[in-house]
Amino acid sequence: MDIFHDNAMLAGVRQMLGAFAKQYIRPVAMKHDREESMPWALMKQAQAFGMTQTAVVDGRKALTGKDDEEGANKPKSQSRLGVVGSEELAYGCAGVCLAIGGSGLAASPVARMGTEEQKQEFRRLLKGDDEHGHIKVAAMALSEPSTGSDISSLSTTARPDGDYFVINGHKQWITNGQSAAAYVVWAQTDPSAGRAGVRGFLVARGTPGLIPGRKEHKLGIRASETAQVHFEDCRVHKDMMLGIGASSEGLGDTKKMLDSTRPMVGAQAVGIARAAFDYLVERVQGGTIHGTALKQHQHVAFELAEMEMEIQAARALVHKSAWMADHGQDNVRMASIAKAYGAKVAQDVTARALTLLGEEALEPDHPVEKWYRDAKIYDIFEGTGQIQRRIIARSILGVNAT
Amino acid sequence: MDFALDDDQALIVQTVRRFVDKDLRAWAGDADRAAEAPGKLATVAGDLGFYLDAVPEAAGGLLDGAYAHVTRALRGLELGRGCSAMAALLECNVEPALAVARWGSDAAKAELFASLAAGGLATTGRDSRGALTLTADGDGVRVTGKIGPLPALGRASHVLLCATLDGAPVALLIATAGQRVAAQAPSAWRAAAWGTLTLEHALVPASHVVARGADPVALIGAWYRSSLAARAAGVAVAAMEHARHYASERVQFGQPIGRFESLIGLRDDALTAATAARLMALHAAWLCDRATDGASIAAAADAASRARVVAGDAVRQATVDAVQIYGGYGFVNDYPVEKLMRDARPYEQLFGDERFDRVLADPDRAGGI
Repeated sequence: MDIFHDNAMLAGVRQMLGAFAKQYIRPVAMKHDREESMPWALMKQAQAFGMTQTAVVDGRKALTGKDDEEGANKPKSQSRLGVVGSEELAYGCAGVCLAIGGSGLAASPVARMGTEEQKQEFRRLLKGDDEHGHIKVAAMALSEPSTGSDISSLSTTARPDGDYFVINGHKQWITNGQSAAAYVVWAQTDPSAGRAGVRGFLVARGTPGLIPGRKEHKLGIRASETAQVHFEDCRVHKDMMLGIGASSEGLGDTKKMLDSTRPMVGAQAVGIARAAFDYLVERVQGGTIHGTALKQHQHVAFELAEMEMEIQAARALVHKSAWMADHGQDNVRMASIAKAYGAKVAQDVTARALTLLGEEALEPDHPVEKWYRDAKIYDIFEGTGQIQRRIIARSILGVNAT
Repeated sequence: MDFALDDDQALIVQTVRRFVDKDLRAWAGDADRAAEAPGKLATVAGDLGFYLDAVPEAAGGLLDGAYAHVTRALRGLELGRGCSAMAALLECNVEPALAVARWGSDAAKAELFASLAAGGLATTGRDSRGALTLTADGDGVRVTGKIGPLPALGRASHVLLCATLDGAPVALLIATAGQRVAAQAPSAWRAAAWGTLTLEHALVPASHVVARGADPVALIGAWYRSSLAARAAGVAVAAMEHARHYASERVQFGQPIGRFESLIGLRDDALTAATAARLMALHAAWLCDRATDGASIAAAADAASRARVVAGDAVRQATVDAVQIYGGYGFVNDYPVEKLMRDARPYEQLFGDERFDRVLADPDRAGGI
């Protein structure tokens, strides 16, 4: 498998999810942006397409129809599958993409570090519909009001008490924070151990002391729910602690998880940029200015050329970082490059597109204006642009610069 | 050359700044969420002399002598620091009032100034892409097409339209009464009473053809753009005021994030750009105050256009970077900067794409650069 070519499976996923994005996501994207509502109906359709909330735990069998473990030494395609799918869904709407895939953030540590019993519990919690007829979703609760970029300063605690841990603390910016049926919450089990004492816990909705907080009103990705989550003397059985035994590296587990999702996050940013680019190409093909064809103006045509350069470069970086992960190579630097550059390109391309569209883009519910708002989060969440540069620079220089 | 403010200017800046810091900033969040400015805006701003500042005294306004665009730009810088939407409502009457006072017929003056004196609003638009159809009908003009979205058009009694008739620029005063006006609330300047006006062979009578020819229309554009540029520079400054405050309190990795060099760099670049935009806006306004003939109008139009380019870039980047400095908090509406990022867009988009305009309009185009 090389990074410049989609194999049959990747091409199939690209085609299927690209069609899903155009036929199902686009028509409702603006409504969910305007109303700040979760696209529950669409999420159910996505599940029917094989994008299940437990896909990561299930080894993505549901999505591809076959086991990816083709042989111990064969490269996997899971990471590239993730970037192809992410780009296509975000091409439809980044907010909807995150609503469909948001549970994956919680599923990933369960898949990576969970015992068989924990995986079963996770699947059980996400099975079937809830009382509203909605599919069930999961939330990963890591960030806190005072813990954004610096995740080593977590203040949520999990105090051992017999067979239980008692969790106390507040979580901030949690995807699916209000609606989740299952939460993976990260807390400090042993303050004296520092980073090594941090652990993830699988907590079911309804557990006394788990209190979903208020929903945030956001600039973009408004179809994806972001909320606070509070833990007040929330008792969780010790069997629900992830990484039981020697396999946990404490806080390092979350960092590995973030490393593994970065190519997909970069791919979503590429999807947004491509959406704005395609919209603009269509407008330029048919548009006029004072009676002359827009496409005959270099001022316009070269802008499109510039955007295409940026998008192609960002996509190549995303695929390289995913390809490295699939081949078992250390992709920490490349994943940060792909994520940071993707975010930069998404912001730049949507801003350029708005400028070229001019006054047309001041219309309410203009898709490019929405994509401009959506793009900004890609420079903030899953490690800000500054954090990515810190990682990249550290890998070059060997030290953290301040 | 003197960069100092005179006593009157200093007093106006001080007064508007107090109004901005005390009232506009306090009202901005709610006005944005409600997509409507508070009723008290008209009362408080009216007392401060907004709305009628460009209407001649003889017509019931406050303008005694020549209008001062430099003072307007200074005021715009402060208003931009407060709220773009409410700033637009406070500034929108100026171009229609000045244009009609300068070139309008008695009938146009009587109609517009009666409306403004009674608390009405007027706004200004431009057919930046030649999408409207204008045809001569006697000495009047018939217009077909959609004007806007424009700030204040949802509530305005009149719109001053800059467009092209048979290849020549014209400025028309269009009464909105009885026409198809649709109120809108886009994501930027949400409280600015946006609207569109859809016309079908609507007759603008000869009395409402305010001006014909390149010079008047260029001058209206210079007024509009220098005002936009000043307000945009104010928004950029405000974005960094908020960001600096937040960064001094937010601690990550054991220190206030404002001490990280990368964020100091973002702030410094934003303030450098805002300073340039401010000076260019003031210079353009200074030229507007001195624009009397073809050459001086061309100089004002050129400076205003360039000021708007720099200010548009400055406000876009400064607001994006303010959100970046706030991080996750920047993305939610409990804090002021996500609104600023949304509000930055019209400064670049209203009145058309500045860079493109100059490419199209360059008289030397055939001869190259």
